[in-house]
Amino acid sequence: MAESKAKENEGESLVGTFVCVMLLGAFLALSWLSVFYLFIHRN
Amino acid sequence: MHIHRLEKIWLIFGISMLILFLLVLGVSAFAMGVAPPGGHHHSMDPTKVTETPPFDQPVLNKIGDKQYEAVMVAYAFGYNPDKLEVPVGSTVHFMVTSSDVVHGFEIPGTNVNMMVVPGEINETTHKFDKPGEYLILCNEYCGAGHQMMSTKLIVK
Repeated sequence: MAESKAKENEGESLVGTFVCVMLLGAFLALSWLSVFYLFIHRN
Repeated sequence: MHIHRLEKIWLIFGISMLILFLLVLGVSAFAMGVAPPGGHHHSMDPTKVTETPPFDQPVLNKIGDKQYEAVMVAYAFGYNPDKLEVPVGSTVHFMVTSSDVVHGFEIPGTNVNMMVVPGEINETTHKFDKPGEYLILCNEYCGAGHQMMSTKLIVK
């Protein structure tokens, strides 16, 4: 019983982590794409 | 092994981003031949720059239709030859070496940006499609006159 409750809590708490990971991912992708755009257009 | 649904999403996102970056890098390096300027294919004696052809006579040569070869020597604090002029649409192959210390060779607004290492023949190529005055400058600190070390490439 206690175990399943712990699992549920774990699941709920991942939403915040998910948002943070996606924000970081979006930052990485955007900075990579903008540098790549500069490289292509200056070639 | 239990992996949370959200965890799966970010793992897939992260791994596909990595694969995309590596694919772009791999295709541009192996299929399109994009490489960092320089490399260690050609070396020379850095103490004999003024006696070693072609650097004994730095010059801008026309080697074909809209193809130019710039044989240049970077020194403290300037570039030789100090005046370059090419027509619009020209491709310039830069071959640069240094007669003293490490210098930089950057043309702002283009992808031309390399270190000029003494003892190495540093090469890069760029096609100039827009007319104008292009600044060539040293971006490696090379001494007291570093901030004055620049020259111009005129494209018209």
